[in-house]
Amino acid sequence: MKLPRFFGKKRGHRRTGSQIWGSVGEGLFYAALVAAGLIFGGLLVSGAVAYAPADAEGLVLDNRQAWWLWLLTLLIPGALLAFGGSGLARVIRAWGKSEERRAASVEMPALLDKMGHAADEAPGHPGVPTCEDLVNSPGTILRYRLPIESPESWTLLGFGLFALLWNAVVLVLAVGAGLDLLSGRTDWLLLAILVPFVAVGVGGIFLFGRALLLATAVGPTQVEISDHPLIPGGSYDVLLGQGGTGTFRELQLLLETEELATFRQGTDTRTERIVVRRERVKEWHDVQLAPGARFETHVTLAIPADGMHSFASDHNAVKWRLVVRGRPERRPAFTRIFPLVVFPAQASAAASAAGRSSPRQESP
Amino acid sequence: MKPGSNSTNSIPPPPLPRVTAQFDRTARVYEPQQQLSIRYQIEGFDEATVQAVERSVLWYTEGKGEEDLGVHFFERTETPEGLAAAMPEGAFVVRLPVSPLSYEGVIVKVRWCIRVRIFFVSGRDFVSEHVFDLGHIPPALGIRDPLDLSEPSP
Repeated sequence: MKLPRFFGKKRGHRRTGSQIWGSVGEGLFYAALVAAGLIFGGLLVSGAVAYAPADAEGLVLDNRQAWWLWLLTLLIPGALLAFGGSGLARVIRAWGKSEERRAASVEMPALLDKMGHAADEAPGHPGVPTCEDLVNSPGTILRYRLPIESPESWTLLGFGLFALLWNAVVLVLAVGAGLDLLSGRTDWLLLAILVPFVAVGVGGIFLFGRALLLATAVGPTQVEISDHPLIPGGSYDVLLGQGGTGTFRELQLLLETEELATFRQGTDTRTERIVVRRERVKEWHDVQLAPGARFETHVTLAIPADGMHSFASDHNAVKWRLVVRGRPERRPAFTRIFPLVVFPAQASAAASAAGRSSPRQESP
Repeated sequence: MKPGSNSTNSIPPPPLPRVTAQFDRTARVYEPQQQLSIRYQIEGFDEATVQAVERSVLWYTEGKGEEDLGVHFFERTETPEGLAAAMPEGAFVVRLPVSPLSYEGVIVKVRWCIRVRIFFVSGRDFVSEHVFDLGHIPPALGIRDPLDLSEPSP
């Protein structure tokens, strides 16, 4: 066996470093965690060590602790044991096995085979995501109402959380400063910190209020579809409903295919998205919306026959979606996304038939 | 063919084997649920040094994301009778699944392949990979004009 090297090179698909030494290092790390958990937990359980807040200088012998305090103190050794033990089991299970054998041993056991698929995989269609979440809401006119994925909702949530957390900190600081002032003391450093904190807090509330106003100013968008999952080459009836008031200079319905790739960059995990296909289903200009009445129209959606089916694995995905893009007058443009699932052309007819009878039923 | 291996033996390592594979379709393009028949030949190795042979049909992802892998068929042979049937020549037949189809995307690619992996008694292993296509999805070209919601369209 070669001695381990601290620096390896990546040559195409493989690395020059030894996989065995890598596994040994990983195993030693997890074994150390298990050992630390056992020693620490053993000392706590045996009563040899206990934390005494009254005597922070050292360790004391004390068995008269409340039961919940014992449980609390065992949390850390428990976590060490769980994390180290699961990691060690994974290293031992993978030892000396090829990546194909590891992958096969996950997929092939009879117990798992009865389940037949991962939780988010369509039955009988490896690598194809399930559309159960997309067919559990019946439409008012067409068969299914599609759930919405609005980017503005996440922005609103982000601004809201920031404003809430930041102003909670500001409130704590302000209460401290106020109590100081009431007691006749003036902490100038605290006041100096408080001024920019208050300014940022007020800015956060303003941004949240603006995002809330924009999100609610444009009425709700509703999309219904005549069938699901979709098939390459198939045509479907789609109902688009747009609420709100005023004039929309433009309203577009787009069909998009998006690729998602998740990768590690240093210690971060990043996801890159790219739209690889976009087709304009239909667009409308100068749409007048009256209060209490919504814009409603039927269109035919054609899925390209040469399109890739929906695909999802742990770190990669190909997604289909309907995008409603609007430009209201005197308001910012908005985008609302409605995910779709496209099955492979082969056997998709059977799957579609199965989906109509029961979304959970496996295609023959 | 991708000769990747884990080199765990003391120097000098023996010469790498060579694996040639012959698909029953010369274009190596298969339809979903179609039968794939492959014949392979391993050359340039000493049969007495082989501990096990693994044969598999699988898909994996390439591109910007971390690699994902799904095994459709896997067979490991360790017994002398099994090894005699699996090398230096061997063949196997697999009915392919309905998905995922081979895909040449911009940042996501799905590839299908067969792999023959040979484990030597020394602890080293050698893998040979032979790619084929499942389905006829054309390559994705990408969008050159991303949606710009700030400016009105012409």
